[in-house]
Amino acid sequence: MKKLLRVFLLLFFFVAGTAGAYAQRTVTGTVVDKDQLPVIGANVVVKGTTIGAITDGLGKYAIVVTSTGNTLVVSFIGYAPQEISIGTNSVINVVLQSESTALDEVVVVGYGTQKRTTVTGAISSVTSDKITALPSAGLDQALQGRAAGVTVINNGAPGFESTIRVRGISTVNDANPLFVVDGVVTTSISNISPSDIESIQVLKDASTAAIYGSLGSNGVIMVTTKKGKAGAVVVNLDSYYGVQYSDARYNVMNSAQYKEYATSGAFTTPAVYTDPQYASRLTGAETNWQDKIYQKGPMQNYDLSVSGGNEFATFRLSAGYLNQRGIVIKTGLERYNFRVNSDFKKGRLKIGENLSLSYSAQDPLADNGGRSLLEHAIKAAPYLPVYNASNPGGFQGPTSSVDGQDAENPVRIMELNNLQLNTQNILGNLYGEVELLKGLKFKSNLGLQDQRTISNQLFPSYNDDNLGGNTHRQTFANIFKNRATYTAFLFTNNFTYDLTLAEKHNIELLALTEYSSVHSTVMNTNSRNNLSNDVNELSNTNPSMSSGTVYYYRVSYLGRLNYNYDGKYLFSASIRKDASSRFGPNKRWGTFPSVSLGWNIAKEAFLSDVQGISNLKLRASWGKAGNDKISDYAYSASYTSNMNYDFGNALVVGTTAAGRPNPDLKWEEMTMTNVGLDLGLFKSKFTLSAEYYINESNDLLMQVPLPLSTGDWNGTIPQNSGSMETKGFEFQLGYNDFEGDFQWSASLNLGTFKNKVKSLGGASYISGYSFEGEDLNRCQVGQPAFYFYGWQFDGIFQSDADAAAYMGGTEKALNSATAGDFRIKDTNGDGKITPADRTNIGNPFPKMTLGLDLNASYKGFDLNLFISGVYGNKIYNTNLFDLLSMDRLFNADVRVLDRWTPTNPSNTIPRAGLVASNAQASSRFVEDGAYTKLKNITLGYTLHKNLLKNKFTKLRIYVSAQNMICITKYSGLDPEVGRYLASGTTLGQIGSPQTTGQNYANGIDVGNYPIPKSVIGGLQITF
Amino acid sequence: MKILKKHFTPALVLSAWVLLFSCKADKLALTNPNNLSPETFFKSAAQVQSAVDAVYGSLQTTGMYNRGIWYGNDNMSHENTCNSQQEADKRQWLNFTQDATHSLTEAYWNSCFRGVTKANFVINNAKLINDIPEVFLSQAMKDKYIGEAKFLRALYYFYLVDKFGDVPLYLGVDPAENFGLPRTPKAQVWAQIEADCIDATTKCLAKADEVPGRATKGSAWALLGKARLYQQNYAGALEAFKNITGYNLEPVYFNNFMEETENGPESLFEVQFSKAAGYSDAWNSDRTDQGVNEATFRAQEYSCLGWFNVFVSEDLWNEFETAAVNGVKTDPRRGYCVYQTGDKYDNNTLTMTIDPVTVAATATTPADFYVRRGWKKYQNYYKAAAESDNESGINMKVIRYADVLLMMAESEAKRPGGSLATAIGYMNQVRNRADVLMPLYGSAAMNAIYPVGTLADFMLALEHERKVELCGEQIRFSDLVRWDRLNTFLTSAKLLNSLPKADKAALVFSYPKNMLYPIPQKEIDVNPKIEQADQNPGY
Repeated sequence: MKKLLRVFLLLFFFVAGTAGAYAQRTVTGTVVDKDQLPVIGANVVVKGTTIGAITDGLGKYAIVVTSTGNTLVVSFIGYAPQEISIGTNSVINVVLQSESTALDEVVVVGYGTQKRTTVTGAISSVTSDKITALPSAGLDQALQGRAAGVTVINNGAPGFESTIRVRGISTVNDANPLFVVDGVVTTSISNISPSDIESIQVLKDASTAAIYGSLGSNGVIMVTTKKGKAGAVVVNLDSYYGVQYSDARYNVMNSAQYKEYATSGAFTTPAVYTDPQYASRLTGAETNWQDKIYQKGPMQNYDLSVSGGNEFATFRLSAGYLNQRGIVIKTGLERYNFRVNSDFKKGRLKIGENLSLSYSAQDPLADNGGRSLLEHAIKAAPYLPVYNASNPGGFQGPTSSVDGQDAENPVRIMELNNLQLNTQNILGNLYGEVELLKGLKFKSNLGLQDQRTISNQLFPSYNDDNLGGNTHRQTFANIFKNRATYTAFLFTNNFTYDLTLAEKHNIELLALTEYSSVHSTVMNTNSRNNLSNDVNELSNTNPSMSSGTVYYYRVSYLGRLNYNYDGKYLFSASIRKDASSRFGPNKRWGTFPSVSLGWNIAKEAFLSDVQGISNLKLRASWGKAGNDKISDYAYSASYTSNMNYDFGNALVVGTTAAGRPNPDLKWEEMTMTNVGLDLGLFKSKFTLSAEYYINESNDLLMQVPLPLSTGDWNGTIPQNSGSMETKGFEFQLGYNDFEGDFQWSASLNLGTFKNKVKSLGGASYISGYSFEGEDLNRCQVGQPAFYFYGWQFDGIFQSDADAAAYMGGTEKALNSATAGDFRIKDTNGDGKITPADRTNIGNPFPKMTLGLDLNASYKGFDLNLFISGVYGNKIYNTNLFDLLSMDRLFNADVRVLDRWTPTNPSNTIPRAGLVASNAQASSRFVEDGAYTKLKNITLGYTLHKNLLKNKFTKLRIYVSAQNMICITKYSGLDPEVGRYLASGTTLGQIGSPQTTGQNYANGIDVGNYPIPKSVIGGLQITF
Repeated sequence: MKILKKHFTPALVLSAWVLLFSCKADKLALTNPNNLSPETFFKSAAQVQSAVDAVYGSLQTTGMYNRGIWYGNDNMSHENTCNSQQEADKRQWLNFTQDATHSLTEAYWNSCFRGVTKANFVINNAKLINDIPEVFLSQAMKDKYIGEAKFLRALYYFYLVDKFGDVPLYLGVDPAENFGLPRTPKAQVWAQIEADCIDATTKCLAKADEVPGRATKGSAWALLGKARLYQQNYAGALEAFKNITGYNLEPVYFNNFMEETENGPESLFEVQFSKAAGYSDAWNSDRTDQGVNEATFRAQEYSCLGWFNVFVSEDLWNEFETAAVNGVKTDPRRGYCVYQTGDKYDNNTLTMTIDPVTVAATATTPADFYVRRGWKKYQNYYKAAAESDNESGINMKVIRYADVLLMMAESEAKRPGGSLATAIGYMNQVRNRADVLMPLYGSAAMNAIYPVGTLADFMLALEHERKVELCGEQIRFSDLVRWDRLNTFLTSAKLLNSLPKADKAALVFSYPKNMLYPIPQKEIDVNPKIEQADQNPGY
């Protein structure tokens, strides 16, 4: 019986088996991406049939097939579809390769998303892998070189924000782009951890940016943070450790060279060299002051995230810790980040939230006396030691009557003082969306940003002057406690209606209202302590305090229509109306329309036969965006009580009119025109995007200078005057080879900018950054904005007779030029040297920026090279003034020993001593700022699942080096010169519009913090 | 239930629509919460006083008495010589190489005009001030506040017309002033100064009735006299000066320059400073007077033991009479004004040492050696071992009675029908100060060195007397300009041979160009009514 049963069963299985072979059987498998993470919801279809399945939360599928001749087609949005012949396999696992240039890519646009194919405007997208490709503390830095038309200039020490410009500069005012994080307008993106970023979209033209109407004129940076995906819980750990350093130094004189210079007769010989009682002062030390202010700065970063969910709810939690010591002594940044993003679905309702909390503690770069740390380090006498234990405070400085100079000890400025800047930032939003009818959705989004900045500063008493002259001393401890808060609400409500008629007419409608309120406060307090350096708290000794409050409100309405016919002919139009509290009652509202068109030529029948062309699209857009970034309350009159005097040794408070109001202030408007072309060849292996744009700003909001003689309290009156134009090209080129073991890709982005001030509403110019009593740059009609202004030099007079005869003696008459002085160029050709010969000596903004990204991988290895560069810009290097002007005795560049003398006829370095023109703002201090930098080189190796015995999904180790090679003609420490930022003793209002001064400071190197080189090693684990 | 389901979607749409348009626009109208508003100002005595106090504040900018004004005057008159650490912009004054972009000149110009604008703010709101009920503010007090503003407006215009010649005359009543005025002929500016002073003499209080430091009738008469003297209206000047009553010379010359004896019997007007009142914003206020800047950098900048940027010029040192010169005694004022090695300081507890200077020869200048002497006037060394904290609370004198007496002497001597003897009498009052007691002009000893028999001789004696009495008080440069003696002085062998050799080579005084400051380039660039062609000659 048993035997019989066995035979029967055998027979049964045979029959069943053969029946399966020739009839139905089930194939199972898992679909994963290249990181071995499950792909959920992928389509698995038997080719040519309606038989199909969808992968589950673990990426698994099961499908019934009927023939070994069948082929499986596995597809998912964002991945290249794969076809696999089934054969006799019963388990088929599939690794989907992402289709990086996929036309189905969805981009985030203002108040929604859009398929890349239907976009008619200019949007640059930066994906998360690019953002985290090189380690950077903030998102601002991660954006550098990544998007065509976006310029990011690092502004130095850890914790200071970068300058970001979209399509150059089109306003004399605040030119910062609008930052929108998950739909919430925010003041800054530098405190967001790069590892939390899903993507960044840069909206550059009217059809995309005008959606943000009032705020869009400087471009919009849209940040989308990562969300959880349905499926297994994924844990991800990213960490790196490295060191930053800079070996760039100016070549200044040592003690022996300095003595030769100081006693040469060019200056009053300091008593230290003539009076025997000071002889020992000269032999005590040999200090290289530059080496004393720089250090190697270790940096480390850890990011941990947990994400997952199911079809009803997804989540992602992340935490990050960054500790970055600066390359200038005592500078650094420590930051903690937390983020929770979650989404829920219930029926027709979707609810979600993004919430982030960051806390940073910055040890800022400091300076003193209006001179940068580097300026002090260049100028300090090399024979003085850094420390002197017997001096109060413990540092050594000069005695001006003995040393004949008074450069401060830069090490004391950093080491003795204790400065702390702490910032806590909460940014979050809660949104709900309900589908009312098919295609009709209502969405409501409530956003909040709450930022608190606390600055605590202690400047202890000290005396660096051991000869009793008190050259640099402070007899008391000076304590500053400052607070600033910023609270912004944003409430957005909108309807969207998606409709497809006759299968070809695709219509999307948007109606939206937005309400925004900002409340910002600041409080600055200061007192002294004459008794002790140990109590870092306020007291009633010389107290001083002030506070301020600003409110700002905005109300907006927006309507938008997107239409396309069969994905071929695209049309989009929008209109936005904004009202801002920064304007008077009659001028409060602004209207910002836009229209755009697109043509997907590749979809036309006549191109469908052309094999190579996978994408070809023409785009054009036109529209207006606005800018209300002028100080609050400028339209109304007010009186200020910050003028003081004293009677009977007591302070009395004076009050006077706080400048002149302008009740007619209105929106600054920018008209943006953009044409673009997208091309994809050979299944989008090769891609190209090209843009040409013209941005014209009108009714520029300006603080128009008033004649000094009007005695106006502000010195300016706010007005809508002037216009400016910026034009340029942008190209984004890509090549991807994602087949085989060796895969590589290259992408190049390039942007050009040409800017011209067309009118300043009657003002002949506006002047800017002041150095040594002179304005170095200005805005003037017919010139690029914020250009450097000064004399053009042309060699050196070799004899008094030359100087006296030159240009009819006019240069001699003007500034007493003699032999050894610079010859000024007669730039206006009138045969005379007059103040009118001061001219454009350089443009601080680049004509072109470039980013080149190269990636290659072979099996587990990956290599990344990232090159970024700027071209056509100039840098005003005021360090050259300190190094070579020789107007007073200070330490200086060794080249001063080879200066002009009657017996040493130099044609580049003039005579020493206080000579007016030789030290004035001139081409002498302006240098070519172009550079090409190898920003990053990274080599990584990934161990996969099977090698890791399934403990980890992925484990990658890498080593990386930043800024190792820089090709430039610039003689300064680093050509990446943004604006100089150092800690001040007061805080400003957070989020208040930045003044023109901030634009003026760009490209002037006053001893800016050099961009460090760094070497790091990192570990990434996913399980 | 069914009904609910049926109407659910429309209800939702409706409520969403309401939400969409519920944003209110009424929050958009804002008033500045940080500042006072015009609607509520000039309603109380405290507010009026506050508006007047603001006018004084412009005297305390670094363009004015915190820094620029003394460097400019003292360097140009070569009462100072600069040490090597002197910064370029101040040294340019010494060498006369400053141009129209000179920032401290711009700060001086702008500070004065800001003072004018603040004065106009008070004067042109007279109606509101006068509308304040008498019980809150008496008519006499209303008048005196307006009087102070007028005196200060006159003072600021005096600073302007003295240094720049023709200047735009803003009175704050014509709307055209908003965007700039052309240069007004200086006669018209002088006329306004006189009118404001005369008004102030009737409105201000007498010194005895006023808070120390505020402008008084005496201040106004003195400025009126000085303004007339500068216009060579000697009779008018004398008439004004003669209205000054109740003032005396300090018995001790140095009382004029000590913190403890400020606003003393000799003081007609001085700029108030006080470290106790605070000085946290002193470095930040080159022209706006914003913040607290109630101390001056003078003491630290000039201090022979501190920064020592300047020292007393050899020429000034030599100007003081010694027993060897006048056969009687060395001028005690030299000891009050100047420190030299060996002098006592810090309540006579310490002994001063000031190093001399050696300069090596170069291809263009020979080797040099000179002795340096420090300033004592306006320094705190009389009571302290060091200039503390960089700032000083000693008030800066604008007009004191010794100056008035010397101006009376000049006016009397030069007025039609004036008496030299009377004039010499005024001058001798200054020499006869209780602790000075120098031999008198007209005596045999003085006739040997400074005869006063003719007007010309008298003027040379007066020049000498003003130089030593008022040294370092920002008076000599203006004197030399109005007497047209500047060129003679700066080209004299006596001065040139006393200068360090490098300074002598660098001095490029140009006559008459350097008699006036340049109009700041920024004013020319921005003011549509002032063109490059309107610039002072030579700049």
